[in-house]
Amino acid sequence: MPNKRLHITLFTLLGIALIVLFIANISLGSVKIPLNDVVQSLTGGEVSKTSWKYIIVNYRLPKALTALLAGMGLSIGGLLMQTLFRNPLAGPDVLGLNSGASLGVAFVILASGILPAALAGIFLSPYGIVLASVTGSFAVLLAVLAVAQRLRDTMAILIIGLMFTSFTGAIVGVLTYFSTAEQLQKYTFWALGSLGNLPWNSIVLLCIVVFAGLLMAVITLKPLDALLLGERYAKSMGVNFKRTRFIIILSTSLLTGCITAFAGPIAFIGLVVPHMAKLFFKTSSHKILFWATLLTGGVLMLLCDIFTQLPGSSFVLPINAITSIIGAPVVIALLLGKRKGIFN
Amino acid sequence: MRKLSLLLIIFFLAFAGCKTDVKPATAPTEKAVNTVKYAKGLQIYNYKNFTVVKVTEPWPDAKEGFTYVMQHKGAVVPDSLKNSIIIHVPLKSIVVTSTTHIPSLEMLGVENTLTGFPGTDYISSINTRARIDAGKVKEAGANESLNTEAILELAPDAIVAFGINSTNKTLNSLQQSGLKVLYNGDWTEQSPLGKAEWIKFFGALYDKEKEANELFNTVEKDYTEALKLAQKATGKPTVMAGALFQDQWYMPQGGSWGALFLKDAGARYLWESSAGTGSISLSFETVLEKAENADIWIGPSQFTSLKEMTDTNPHYAQFKSFKNKQVYSYSTKKGATGGLLYFELAPNRPDLVLKDLINILHPDLLPGYQSHFFEKLK
Amino acid sequence: MENGKIIMQASNLDIGYKTRNHTNAIATNINLSLKHGTLTALIGANGVGKSTLLRTLTGIQKPLAGSVLLNEREIGDYTTAELAQNLSVVLTESLPPSNLTVYELIALGRQPYTNWAGSLSGDDNHKISQALALTHTKQLLDKKHFEISDGQLQKVLIARALAQDTPLIILDEPTTHLDLQHKVSVLKLLKNLAEDQGKCILYSTHDLDLALQLSDEIIVMTESVVVQDTPKNCIQSKIFNTLFSDDAIVFDSVSGRFIIT
Repeated sequence: MPNKRLHITLFTLLGIALIVLFIANISLGSVKIPLNDVVQSLTGGEVSKTSWKYIIVNYRLPKALTALLAGMGLSIGGLLMQTLFRNPLAGPDVLGLNSGASLGVAFVILASGILPAALAGIFLSPYGIVLASVTGSFAVLLAVLAVAQRLRDTMAILIIGLMFTSFTGAIVGVLTYFSTAEQLQKYTFWALGSLGNLPWNSIVLLCIVVFAGLLMAVITLKPLDALLLGERYAKSMGVNFKRTRFIIILSTSLLTGCITAFAGPIAFIGLVVPHMAKLFFKTSSHKILFWATLLTGGVLMLLCDIFTQLPGSSFVLPINAITSIIGAPVVIALLLGKRKGIFN
Repeated sequence: MRKLSLLLIIFFLAFAGCKTDVKPATAPTEKAVNTVKYAKGLQIYNYKNFTVVKVTEPWPDAKEGFTYVMQHKGAVVPDSLKNSIIIHVPLKSIVVTSTTHIPSLEMLGVENTLTGFPGTDYISSINTRARIDAGKVKEAGANESLNTEAILELAPDAIVAFGINSTNKTLNSLQQSGLKVLYNGDWTEQSPLGKAEWIKFFGALYDKEKEANELFNTVEKDYTEALKLAQKATGKPTVMAGALFQDQWYMPQGGSWGALFLKDAGARYLWESSAGTGSISLSFETVLEKAENADIWIGPSQFTSLKEMTDTNPHYAQFKSFKNKQVYSYSTKKGATGGLLYFELAPNRPDLVLKDLINILHPDLLPGYQSHFFEKLK
Repeated sequence: MENGKIIMQASNLDIGYKTRNHTNAIATNINLSLKHGTLTALIGANGVGKSTLLRTLTGIQKPLAGSVLLNEREIGDYTTAELAQNLSVVLTESLPPSNLTVYELIALGRQPYTNWAGSLSGDDNHKISQALALTHTKQLLDKKHFEISDGQLQKVLIARALAQDTPLIILDEPTTHLDLQHKVSVLKLLKNLAEDQGKCILYSTHDLDLALQLSDEIIVMTESVVVQDTPKNCIQSKIFNTLFSDDAIVFDSVSGRFIIT
């Protein structure tokens, strides 16, 4: 098998890149901290400044873990959606879940202006935002599943997902029109995504849910391979299509829903990474693609996150801007390279 | 689309050019002196029966300002000023657009002339709230946007507005309808006394310039006394400010209104050397590194309790000022409908702000002092 | 599995579509039996209902009346997984774009037998090798499925069905878009599989002359009846003259093909 050697090489490279970028992510930031102090902070040794140790252990480390989990989770979500809908433009948010989350959060941020201060405080706390995001995603998920049960045509589900996105987007537009400048800013900032500032118990929760989603995704890998031949062939090979579709949607929702709840709607990664994996590994086998996508997603997200807090600069860039700026040219470059036959 | 904007730019420049031609070639008959001392964006010239008020910086980097002529009853305005905006004073009714305008009206005793305000919930003053509840002050818009129809219906003698830049569709359309719109530039003032001196702007609108001057002089005197007191302080505590907004920490710059107060109050504000009058956005890491051991934290955004802060972001607990419970916020003192007292009254009463800060920074200097705006967060 | 034993039986079968308002019966009172070790061709004009019949026989579509028994069990009673081990298909639809190699494609045929992860055991690999050998496609192993010719792809799809190791294989127009050489090659392969491997193979086709020469039995579907018999008997019954409504097309019993008058 000619691809096998390629795959082994790529996987090794990805593994190394993951480790290197994880360390780089923790070592680089607005504040310059020497590598020795980074290591000392992580191993519990003596650090020159207490603020450095705190920054490394309680700010950068959780941020790196969030980046890793988000990168992995969103990428697998994208892979599932692209195969299920046989659409290269599908991302993990194609079902409209992120729009549902945005609607939930927009409601909460706007409602906080109308409610008395005490209740507003609860709504605007991180838990309020997380809860609002999850509720919004879940509501859209239920709607999508209800529709999916009635529909045999998978394409129709895609279109309905897109319609949900437009619908919730329109309502959010109206809500933001009636907001104060401060509310608008708060919502906009949420919508730009943020990987930092998560307390440890949130990280643990994120970890658990992402793992659950990934495990569910693993179960669908075999039927996804059968689906490469089309629905009719897949069914003739024993695939329970309705059940598989349900698990795929559920898995993607878990992954996207919880990542969005904690880190805001992160754009592009879920769409781009599966393409990168397919272009690099040149296979359609979902067993390989699962791991390829997982690692590539983690690597890319860590890289993007490093750029949000460029060393030397004191300001922070929103993660969504970076993922789009890096993601788009990467895909274009890969596709152009493919045309020239470089990757053949 | 490009061609259109180019055309519009040319049009605008031509128009702007026209405007300067209209400026009075000859000065008014008598020579008057600008009676404004501290406010950089305000000039007031008193003549026998009218006052010329110049707002020179209605918004930051404004290319030109506005000249208003406050015409008293039966006064004659010289031809050279006929093309400025003429307001007949004293006003019988007024619409203002910022809560900072309210204290000026109340201190001059003319709050009864207020007929409308956009976002009445923001007003904290008890007197005006009573008038609002009695239906005497109408809602003139939502948040920052004015409701054209509501204001046209109110038809006030004048509208005191503020602009962030030169484009202002609503205000332009109100002017077109014949209403008098004045731009108030108090928000671009940075010096504490400069901001307070804008009460004279309102004094001119109500023919109460004498009262306005007296009120300001009292504030000036109290402020200067407090300043002298602060200079007697023995220590200079380090101070940090602001809070995180998602991933951005907004830190007031050294030339901003808030930072100038800290300087006058005898603090060592850790970002006092940063140039500018707004705020810079920093990353959490940068702030922690520099301000981890700051003595006092002043003005952590909208937070009203320590728990609220850590609920939003656990990292706040890392700061020494937080651990020692030396966090002072202006967000706890609110009006009945949630408006912040600080934003409304502080610009007019810098003497109170200064004393509040001195009390925080050097508690021994003002024994038994009751804080007006700031509260220690629990 | 002895040759000659019945694997699929259709009795009093009515096929068609049921909408909310009315029922559209395409064909009624169909009685068929398919036996191990036989190659059966389904012949009929366009639009007469061949696809509907195939869909009903493979369990994709419900019959309007009557029964379809597979191994003496109602086909509707099978779970998808059970059915997959007894019946495999080869379809005409083009495959969605993907990077599947010929090997990977054929290996997919083992899905009904592999574990949840789809790992291939020794037995699975054996069956795949067998499928490759029987269809003479071993040299195409590493090629992508879109890099081979139509004729080769058809054999690869048959190999996939073979790898699925089912006693019954149903093919929808496997020879329609192939040249004569490839038509013959595919049909000879199918005949081989029926005779030597004991498979029961049913395929629909428009190539009547080839079908008559190579099939064990023919199912003829006309507007009025569905008849199953040996090629010889079918010719003798003159049923082929009722296939097409055009009088200019006449079936010649001697040469065994249609002549245009």
